[in-house]
Amino acid sequence: MKTKIWILTLLLVLATGESVRAAETLSVDIFGPGQSRVNILVLPARGAGGQPATNLARNFGEYVNGDLGFLPFLRVAYLSEVLGGDPSKGVKAEDIDFKPLQLSRIDLVMTISGAGQDIEARVYETFTRKLLVGKAYSQVDQSGVAHVADRFCAQLMRVLTGKSGFFDSTLAFSKKVGGGKELFTASALGRGLQQVTHDGGFNVSPSWSKDGGKLAYTNISDLGHRLGIWDRGSRVSRLRRFPGNIAISPTFTPDGQIAISLSLNGHPDIYLLDADFRPGKALAPSWAIGVSPSFDLSGRKMVFCSGRLGGPQIFLLNRDTGAVDRVTYDGTYNTRPSLSPDGRFVVFARMTGDGHRIFIRDLVANQERQISFGPGSDEDPSFDPDGYFVSFASSRGGGTKIYVTTRYGDPARLIPTGPGDAMAPAWGVATALN
Amino acid sequence: MNAKRIFGLMLLTVMLVSFGAGCAKKTADSMPAGATKVEITDKDTDWQKPAAPESRSLTEDEIRAQQREQAQRELGNMIFFAFDSFELTPESRDVLTSKAETLKKYSLFNIVIEGHCDERGTSEYNLALGERRAKAAQQFLNQLGIADSRMTIVSYGKERPLDPGKGEAAWSKNRRDEFKIQN
Repeated sequence: MKTKIWILTLLLVLATGESVRAAETLSVDIFGPGQSRVNILVLPARGAGGQPATNLARNFGEYVNGDLGFLPFLRVAYLSEVLGGDPSKGVKAEDIDFKPLQLSRIDLVMTISGAGQDIEARVYETFTRKLLVGKAYSQVDQSGVAHVADRFCAQLMRVLTGKSGFFDSTLAFSKKVGGGKELFTASALGRGLQQVTHDGGFNVSPSWSKDGGKLAYTNISDLGHRLGIWDRGSRVSRLRRFPGNIAISPTFTPDGQIAISLSLNGHPDIYLLDADFRPGKALAPSWAIGVSPSFDLSGRKMVFCSGRLGGPQIFLLNRDTGAVDRVTYDGTYNTRPSLSPDGRFVVFARMTGDGHRIFIRDLVANQERQISFGPGSDEDPSFDPDGYFVSFASSRGGGTKIYVTTRYGDPARLIPTGPGDAMAPAWGVATALN
Repeated sequence: MNAKRIFGLMLLTVMLVSFGAGCAKKTADSMPAGATKVEITDKDTDWQKPAAPESRSLTEDEIRAQQREQAQRELGNMIFFAFDSFELTPESRDVLTSKAETLKKYSLFNIVIEGHCDERGTSEYNLALGERRAKAAQQFLNQLGIADSRMTIVSYGKERPLDPGKGEAAWSKNRRDEFKIQN
């Protein structure tokens, strides 16, 4: 089923134009019900004083178009949709004829101008002719133009939805290097790709600390499993062994502790480590495999994968009451859950006859739906800090790569991560590394 | 007799001359009539026969290396599992029984038991499953008298497939325990 974006377009035009405030003109509730998208048109870049546009400004426009394509609540319109072509003579409101834009159902129009190393960008709401976002950037060079475009789009998303986690986050993921795997980071748009660990062996399951200052992960080598902690400040990683044979799926809680699956009593259970990395009591222990903890923003709810009832299924632990509830009933193999920050939604990988697919369960409405559709196998789903986007690893294109969809199952977009298989994406609130 | 004397004198002279002249190769050119032509060649001395290859005994390291190789060969057989299972099959138990004998024979060596999974499961759950597979073998060997301290477990999950192909033929090879000499 083709899924739609739930958008509520709120259009408040007050009787007197002077009293209209930008915040009231147009907002998009990316979490609310709705069936339509907001149409945005990016007009061709212009130069100063009637000059042709600079290459820099043109490139900026191309990056913005690319970025907006990642936002499913926007539809990037074409100039050919507008009667009479480009309705502007300049980049400001007084230079734009908004009528043909209104007739063509263009909700937002963006203008770009550039002179030398300066770039100006504006987005107007066509029905109110009000400026929603206006930004000027100076001393932009070719290497920084993509970053500037990302920042502008982050601002636009923030104005429209109140959220901008997609642009402000850094993805950490595991990538094949030589015969093993190391951790890499990049922006959610794949920019600033960097290898951050050089441990040898297999580095898997990265998890960001809430402040984006640390990554926890598992290192697997002939020495066994070790917990890796990579520090963003020093760019150094340390590996730590634990009693037992495993150190699987380390995950930071919102208050900075690490939950990790250890085998201290002969079977894998999830433990919280204290500041000295000593495991405390097991969380929701059982005789069976327990792995892949994921917490909401309060840290009081934890979803995890357990084989306590036979095959692997998703369970929810309420840490205040100690109650453990089963979350998944369909399918015989449900693994790798990720809990939305508000604790309402769980995304997870379900094994189907055609490979793994990503499903989402609404814990309040008790409803479940599929949000990824292959082909190949879709695994390792992970919510972004806003609980709107969901990244995952998929083998749909041959090798394993990272894709992003939304919790509504919008068409998945590939996040460029360079050559080589990439998997296990994790979102961090930290901005991309320089 | 005369001729012999002359010959003997000559030989002595030539030898003295050659000794005085060093060790260069010399040939006696002037020959008395009737004398047998003798070519005298100085060679580097090689008084002793080349030493026969000594039948020395192997060093401890070499014996150990040989034993290690032998033990690894005997431990090379893997055991295999059903999907999402860490249960030992009757065949696996037979293989492990013979491994226990090998480990008793080579009591100097410790082993690493590697647990592996096929690609169908997901990464983190497979890491736990691989540990259970290795643990199942360790417990069985322990029951047969092999000390736990001689066995280390590493789960690779689905990170190191034996056969990177798709389909049950490849997957069934990948759901395995491998046994490697550690020291």
